[in-house]
Amino acid sequence: MSQGVMSTGEGMRIFPDVEACIDCGGCVVACKRTWDREIQNQRIDITTMAEGIAGPQGENAAKVDPLIAGENPGETSLPMQCYHCENAPCVSVCPTNALQKEEDGFVTVQDDLCVGCQYCLSGCPFGAPQFPDSNDGSAQLFGTGGIMDKCTGCRPRQEAGKGPACAEECATDAILVGSAGEISDELEKRGSGSFFNDQAMEIIFGEEDAQLFQDYNPDQ
Amino acid sequence: MTNLDHGKFSRVTTMFHSLLALTVFVLFFTGYAIAFNTELWWMVELMGGNRGVLSIHRLAGFALILLTGFWVPYMLIRSASRSNFREVLPDLRADAAAFVQDVKFALGRADERHPNARQFAGYKADEVPLLSYVGKGVIWIFTVELLLLMISGLLIWRKTWLIDFYNSQSVAMAFVAFHGLLGVIMLMGVLFHTFEHGFHPAFYPIEMKAFLPKDQTPNFHGNPDEYETTGIERLRLRPSWRWATNVVAVLVVVGIVSVLVASLDYGGYPVPETLAFNEGSVLRTIGINIGMFVLLLGLLLSVYGNVLRARYLRQRRERAATGTTAADGGEPASRDEPGTSGTDDG
Ligand code: SF4
Ligand code: SF4
Repeated sequence: MSQGVMSTGEGMRIFPDVEACIDCGGCVVACKRTWDREIQNQRIDITTMAEGIAGPQGENAAKVDPLIAGENPGETSLPMQCYHCENAPCVSVCPTNALQKEEDGFVTVQDDLCVGCQYCLSGCPFGAPQFPDSNDGSAQLFGTGGIMDKCTGCRPRQEAGKGPACAEECATDAILVGSAGEISDELEKRGSGSFFNDQAMEIIFGEEDAQLFQDYNPDQ
Repeated sequence: MTNLDHGKFSRVTTMFHSLLALTVFVLFFTGYAIAFNTELWWMVELMGGNRGVLSIHRLAGFALILLTGFWVPYMLIRSASRSNFREVLPDLRADAAAFVQDVKFALGRADERHPNARQFAGYKADEVPLLSYVGKGVIWIFTVELLLLMISGLLIWRKTWLIDFYNSQSVAMAFVAFHGLLGVIMLMGVLFHTFEHGFHPAFYPIEMKAFLPKDQTPNFHGNPDEYETTGIERLRLRPSWRWATNVVAVLVVVGIVSVLVASLDYGGYPVPETLAFNEGSVLRTIGINIGMFVLLLGLLLSVYGNVLRARYLRQRRERAATGTTAADGGEPASRDEPGTSGTDDG
């Protein structure tokens, strides 16, 4: 099992370690292979910022410290997927309740309820909602998105005690899975930070658990 | 001799009104089915299911834009229509006075209503303006609402246009909320409009002016001063009017209140502030469905108006063919015809 996966199932949180991600694309491949998704459907995607630019401490050096110091952290890669937010904005904006925050912490999509309005796309700060059918004939004509699809957190795998495919496959253990406490401890142990701003952290972890991550970045 | 026997709209405008009603009702049914999905899930199923309902909404939206895109320039190009436009402009002094007097009247502090509020009430045609301030209000309020709904709808549909401008997701969400809010406000207007024109004692169940072009409406051409009365006494009130009006009035109020309360309750309509699942209550479900029923009633009345118009025109043609006097308003030849009491009583 990947060292990034600390516990699975009930109460699971998923979060990236930007210091570890090397933009290899392993998670993207693992996700597509496991769930056989369409080529344009990116349930997980790696976003690279400031590509080709070295940070003040050199390439591949710490990203979070310079960011906190208000400097350009240099090229930074970040696996983006659904973080199954505690205060999920997508759930709030969905007019048909197709999106639900389940009791075990997973944010799920009910295909039968989704009307393809794409409000969730506007609501999600992390670009997680995907609309693989939005280029199909009628959907394109009327601009509906078709049925929304996003990272499921590999719920069935987690229920069977396995980690999400992306996290298990990650060569550098850059995708952390576990409780909020486990993730913040692991980041601290690695000397990594959260990279996201306070607002995003409160969306993902909720106000209370977001505090866990502030120990490392007291002035962030 | 009353305003009752004056046609109000041209042929193009009556057609526009019926088509506008059709598209707006379809937009309402689809839009509400999505926004109040918990209460109106069955409507989603009827209108293309979750995969089709938005396509119908957008199709109707395009139809609405095409329709107004045709009608507004048409009205502005025709000089006869342009002069009508002046009649619709608010007369700030008289209309405001009429409103104030109406409030006083409702409170029992005024004996009668202002002429600008009295479109139908037993006045001779030359004594009151053709359009009351309420009528003008309906036109302007609907115009502004529809315009804003069209713009916000287009911007929600093509989010990239917005993002290009503002580069922010919150703006897209703000337009979503705005679109929903306008929809709720406009529903109140449409229910009220249906009630006002369908259940007026002189017109019940339908005001034919909205369906019969004015060149086809029997008109009074004599001198009003030669007549003692306005002719309103020749109208017969349908026996069902009283209970039908009471029932529909209750339904309208229940429908409006339910939709309002539900949208407040969901919070920050249509973007709920808190997460709540399967939150529908039985009362709210009934209330919102009642609101939709009144909408359906409005749509059926609009269809019925067109049926009556077709029937009336056919009867006129038949009379003309058999040589009897056409119902030109001089002779109440078609008085026995049901449902057109507002138009055929000269
Ligand atoms: S807001 Fe985005 S990241 Fe958060 S739960 Fe919803 S889809 Fe996932
Ligand atoms: S696209 Fe589907 S899941 Fe997203 S907000 Fe609309 S109905 Fe909900």
